[in-house]
Amino acid sequence: MNEERAKRWDNTKLSIRVFLANRTALVGLIIVLIYVADALIMQFDPGLLGITQVNTLVPNFTNPVPLPPSWAHPFGTTFPGVDLYTSILKAIRIDLFYSILVVAVGAVAGAVIGVVSATVGGLLDETVMRITDIFFSIPYLILALAIGFILGRSLMYMSLALALVWWPLYARYTRSQTLSTKEFTYVEAAKASGVSRTRIMFRHILPNALPPVFIQISLDLGSIMVIFSTLAFIGFIANAKVPELGYLTSLGLNYVQTAPWAVIFPGVAITVFALAVNLLGDGLRDVIDPRRRS
Amino acid sequence: MIIAARRLTKEFEIKANSAFGKPLRLRAVDSVDIQVGEGQIVGVVGESGSGKSTLGRTLLGLLSPSAGTVLFDIPDDVLREYDGFRRDGDAKGAASIEMEYSIFKKKGEKLKKIRSGMNMVFQDPYSSLDPRMNVMSIITEPLLAMNYMKPDKAVDRCMELLEEVGLPRDFAYRYPHELSGGQKQRVALARGMATLPKFLVLDEPTSALDVSVQAQILSLLRKIREKYHIGMVIITHNIAVISYMADQVNVMYAGKIVESGPKEDVILNPVHPYTIALISAVPGKMVKPNRIILKGDTPNLINPPQGCVFHPRCPMAFGICGWTADEIATDLKYLVNDKFAGSFNDKAVVSTGAGGSLVINNASAGDEGVLERIINEEKGNMKSLTAIEGLERHGTNIELKIKGYRVPKMYNHDGRKVSCLLYAGDDNKA
Ligand SMILES: Nc1ncnc2c1ncn2[C@@H]1O[C@H](COP(=O)(O)OP(=O)(O)O)[C@@H](O)[C@H]1O
Ligand code: SF4
Ligand SMILES: [Mg+2]
Repeated sequence: MNEERAKRWDNTKLSIRVFLANRTALVGLIIVLIYVADALIMQFDPGLLGITQVNTLVPNFTNPVPLPPSWAHPFGTTFPGVDLYTSILKAIRIDLFYSILVVAVGAVAGAVIGVVSATVGGLLDETVMRITDIFFSIPYLILALAIGFILGRSLMYMSLALALVWWPLYARYTRSQTLSTKEFTYVEAAKASGVSRTRIMFRHILPNALPPVFIQISLDLGSIMVIFSTLAFIGFIANAKVPELGYLTSLGLNYVQTAPWAVIFPGVAITVFALAVNLLGDGLRDVIDPRRRS
Repeated sequence: MIIAARRLTKEFEIKANSAFGKPLRLRAVDSVDIQVGEGQIVGVVGESGSGKSTLGRTLLGLLSPSAGTVLFDIPDDVLREYDGFRRDGDAKGAASIEMEYSIFKKKGEKLKKIRSGMNMVFQDPYSSLDPRMNVMSIITEPLLAMNYMKPDKAVDRCMELLEEVGLPRDFAYRYPHELSGGQKQRVALARGMATLPKFLVLDEPTSALDVSVQAQILSLLRKIREKYHIGMVIITHNIAVISYMADQVNVMYAGKIVESGPKEDVILNPVHPYTIALISAVPGKMVKPNRIILKGDTPNLINPPQGCVFHPRCPMAFGICGWTADEIATDLKYLVNDKFAGSFNDKAVVSTGAGGSLVINNASAGDEGVLERIINEEKGNMKSLTAIEGLERHGTNIELKIKGYRVPKMYNHDGRKVSCLLYAGDDNKA
C-alpha cells in the first residue's frame, strides 16, 4: 500500500506541475485568490484594511462631486463623495458571495436534473428538455428581471432569479455529458464484469461526466458576476447604500465625462475578476484531462 | 457446451426519417446457431457491419435478443435433447430446458454466478479502460462486483493476473494513459479472465494494435486457453487471426452465418461463394482460387435483399437466388439502351410494374430472338439474367417471366454447414 500512497503523491505533484506549466492560469489563480482574500478579510476583520462599515457605502454630502485619485482617495471618489478604494474592497465580498450563491444553487440543481434526466430518459427526459427550451427562448436578462420583480427587489432574490435562469444551462450540459459518457466502451466493459447499474453510475459515468461540468461552472463564476452587477447597474436593487460593484459603477454614470475614474475603477474590478476566472478555468481543464497529463 | 445459441436474432429499432414514420427495424443478427465447447476457440469472421459485435454482445447477455436463446454451460446430451424438442416442435420440453440453462432466464444471485463465468475483451483498449481508474481498480472490478473474493484477497489476485498477462507488478498503480496499446489490451485481458470465466468473447482483440504487438497478444491468448481451458469466441475481420487461433470457424454475412465448420475445412477448402471470395482476398499461401473482388456494398439490413442476402454480390448466383424485377431491369436497361442499343428499336424501354412484372415496351418484331441471344451471351457476367425464365410477346411489348426464388437454409456439405442454394441437394433445386 506504500506504493499506492507514493503513487497518489506523484499524481498530486503531477497535477500541480501541469497547472503551473500554464502561466496565464497561474496569473488567473493569483488574482482570484486576491479577491477571495479580500472577501475573507472583509468578512472577519475589516479593520485590518482600516474599514469600519463593511455593509454600507459611506457618503460625504459636504463634497458629493467625484474627486480624482489622490493620497487620501487612491481610486478617487464617486457620487455622493464615496471613497472608491474602500468601497470596491467592500463590494468584492458582496459580489463574490452572491455570484457563488447563484452558481452553487443553479449548478447543483441543474447538474442533478441533468443527470437524472439522462439516466431515467423517456418522458421525463423529454419534458425536462422542453422546459429548458422555454427558458432558452427568453433572453436571460429579461427573464431574470421578470423573475426578480415578481420575487422582490433584494440581493438575495436577485441571485435566486439568476439561479433560476441558469439551471437549464447546467441541466443541458450535464445531460449531454452523461449521455456521451454512457457510450464509452468502459461502461459496457463494467456491465460485462457484472457491475451493478448504480455502481456504474457512481464509479464510471459521473466521475467522467462531471469534471467538465465543474470546469464550466467555475468558468461561469466570472460571467455571473458580470451579469449580477449588470442587474444592479440598471437599478435592480432598491437599497441605495449597498456596496456592490455594478451599483457603484452606476453612481458615477452622470460624471462619466468629467470623472471617468468613477466608472472605470469599479468596472475594472468586475472585468479583471471575470478574466481571471477564465484563465484559471483553462488551467483546470489541463489538470483534469488525463491525456494532457502524459 | 459452454455456450450454445439457437436461432439468435437481434433487431435494433432505428428512428424513422420523418417524425411520424414507424420506427425501422435493423436486423443485425439473424437466426444464428453457434456453440462453443469447453476450452474451444470459435472464430467469427466477416466484413465490418456483418453483426459480429452484436452477436458477441448478445451471447453474453449484454444485449437482450429479439428472438432465440443462449444456453450456458449445458451438457451435450441436454443440448441434443433441446435441439430435438425444437425440431419436433415440443415447446414445453424446450421451455423447461431454457428455464434451466438460458442466461436470459436468470436473475439475482444466479445471474451474478453466470456473469462471473463469462466476460468480454473489447476491440479498442483505449476506450475500454476507464481513464480515471488505475490498473488495480480495473482488474479487481469484476472480482469485487460479483463478490468473487474479499478486497484484500483481490489485491493478491490482481498481482497474479498481472504476472499472467506479462506485466510487471508495479503497473497496478498506473493509469491507462501511462500504458501503450498492447499493455492496455493485456490489462483488459487480465480483467476479462479475473474470475476465471469458462467463456470469453474477444471482439477484434488485436485490430487496434500495432502489427508487432498483435502476435504477442494472440500467443498470450493461446497460452491462457491452454492453461485455463477457457472457451472463447474470437471475433475478427482478419482471416489470418482466425487461422492462427480458431478451432471452429463461422463466417458471417449480413447478420447470418453462411458457413460454419472446422477451421481446416472452412479456411483451406471454403465452399460458400462469400467465404471463397473472403479467403481469396488474403495474400499468401492460402490463395487457392484466383482472387475474387466482390462488387457492390454490404446490404442494407433494414431492407435486406430477398432470397439469399448475398445474391446481389455473389459471383456464383443463379436463377433462384432471389432476383427481383428491379435488379434484372437495371441490368437489362444497360444491355438494351446502351451496350446493344443498335440491335433494338430506339424507342425500346425496359419497365417494371406492380406485382414484380418486367416488360420491354415498344419492341420491334424479332426483338425476342435478339434478346434471347443476348441474355444467353451475357448470363455469365450478369447473374441477374439467369432468373429470366422465358419471353412472351403481347403486341409491341415483350414480357419477361422471372423464376421463383428460395431462401437458403443451413445444408450439411463436406464436413461443414453452409447456407447456399448450390448445396441444397437435388430435391431442393427448383
Ligand atoms: N446499438 C445499435 N443501434 C442501432 N444499430 C446498431 C447498433 N449496434 C450495431 N448496429 C448496427 O448493426 C449492424 C451490425 O453491427 P456490428 O455488430 O457492430 O457489426 P460488426 O461488429 O460485424 O462490424 C450495423 O449495421 C450497425 O450499424
Ligand atoms: S445461394 Fe449461394 S449461389 Fe445463390 S446467391 Fe447465395 S451464395 Fe450465391
Ligand atoms: Mg465490430
